Amino acid sequence: MSVRTVADFVVLLHEELGLELGVEDVSLGFDEVPGWDSVHLLRLLTVLERETGRMISVPDVLGAPNLRYIYELAVR
Amino acid sequence: MVESGIHITGVGTALPGPPLDNAMLGRFFSNGRVFEQWIDTFVGTRTRHLAVDLDTGDVRYSLADLGETAGRRALAAAGVLAEDIDLVVMGTATPDALMPATVNLIADRLGIDGVPTYQLQSGCTGAIQALDVASQMLANGRGRTALVLGGDVCAKHVDLGIDPEKLAPSELVNIVLFGDGAGAVVLSSEPVADAPLIRRVLVRFTGRNRAPGQVVEWFGMADRADGRVAFREDFKAIEEQVPAMSVEILEELLAGESWLAADLDYLLPPQLSVRMTEQIVKQLGVSNAEEVSCIADTGNAANALPFFQLERLLPLMVSGQRAITIAVESSKWIKGGIALEKV
Repeated sequence: MSVRTVADFVVLLHEELGLELGVEDVSLGFDEVPGWDSVHLLRLLTVLERETGRMISVPDVLGAPNLRYIYELAVR
Repeated sequence: MVESGIHITGVGTALPGPPLDNAMLGRFFSNGRVFEQWIDTFVGTRTRHLAVDLDTGDVRYSLADLGETAGRRALAAAGVLAEDIDLVVMGTATPDALMPATVNLIADRLGIDGVPTYQLQSGCTGAIQALDVASQMLANGRGRTALVLGGDVCAKHVDLGIDPEKLAPSELVNIVLFGDGAGAVVLSSEPVADAPLIRRVLVRFTGRNRAPGQVVEWFGMADRADGRVAFREDFKAIEEQVPAMSVEILEELLAGESWLAADLDYLLPPQLSVRMTEQIVKQLGVSNAEEVSCIADTGNAANALPFFQLERLLPLMVSGQRAITIAVESSKWIKGGIALEKV
């Protein structure tokens, strides 16, 4: 799937990471995201690079405050 | 001055093969660059050693191999021979086989015979539990010299045929956390100059009504295909509970010996991951004590960890110094710790 919108991103989070989130949840801090684990970040980075066909800055993602920030890094 | 009690007179350890760094581990992910930076950030472990050769899938070392090497080194360090050993106690979560117990294979290879041997099914407090059993037996006159062993080999759980990217976080975390290794100490009930004295050992099960933080299954012919996950962790529960348990262990050991935190020269904290250990040390708040850790180099080698820490500690300790080792077993929440003093 290609990721063009936040809604696409939420679908990807569900399909690839098994996270059941709403669009509003991507703005939460990681501590507040239901079911979130830092191991998910590893999977998410890998999936986003595959889906977007672009290298994403790992330090930027690892320092991200929330999922929306990562979405923006991936699509901008 | 030499005081009566149980002394640690020698330490030996063994690691399988060369150190594997994060880049080497990252080759098994389609995106090794991401993996490597992720592990640097969230886990912090630099290297680990594995009994399995990741290129060929061959298992190069058994737990008996590593235990034998560690045991031989501990005997040499203590200056004792196999015939001097009056009892052997070992802790492991991953015996080579359920029977015969790995402790007996190691005893055989070392030339130890005709003495009591015990193997504890144990996790990260296994070294402490084994040391407790051995030191109590020595204190009760069941002998003068004991060999205590601990180690783990996770080769059984390293499946090179699976795609790590398809693993659940509770399984994936094991790939990055664990390493293989074994360690051993020789204990003596006779006064030995320059050997630290075991002042106190704490082992306490605290798992009543608490869900396991880690589960390692075992399989037989009838249930080997039933789809259970062989090895999984509830790392969130571990992150939440281990630091508080560590503080309680430290406080109990200090109080038991009427030591103040300021009296402590060395701290051997739980070795879960570099990042977790950093957090635990911060919460323990004994900044005057020098931290003795091995996790960045060995990975989480479970039952072997306190031996690697003791191996680093012993050359540092001088007369009058005190050290505390802390370990937590998260499968069913066991507290473990040792207070040591070089008199």
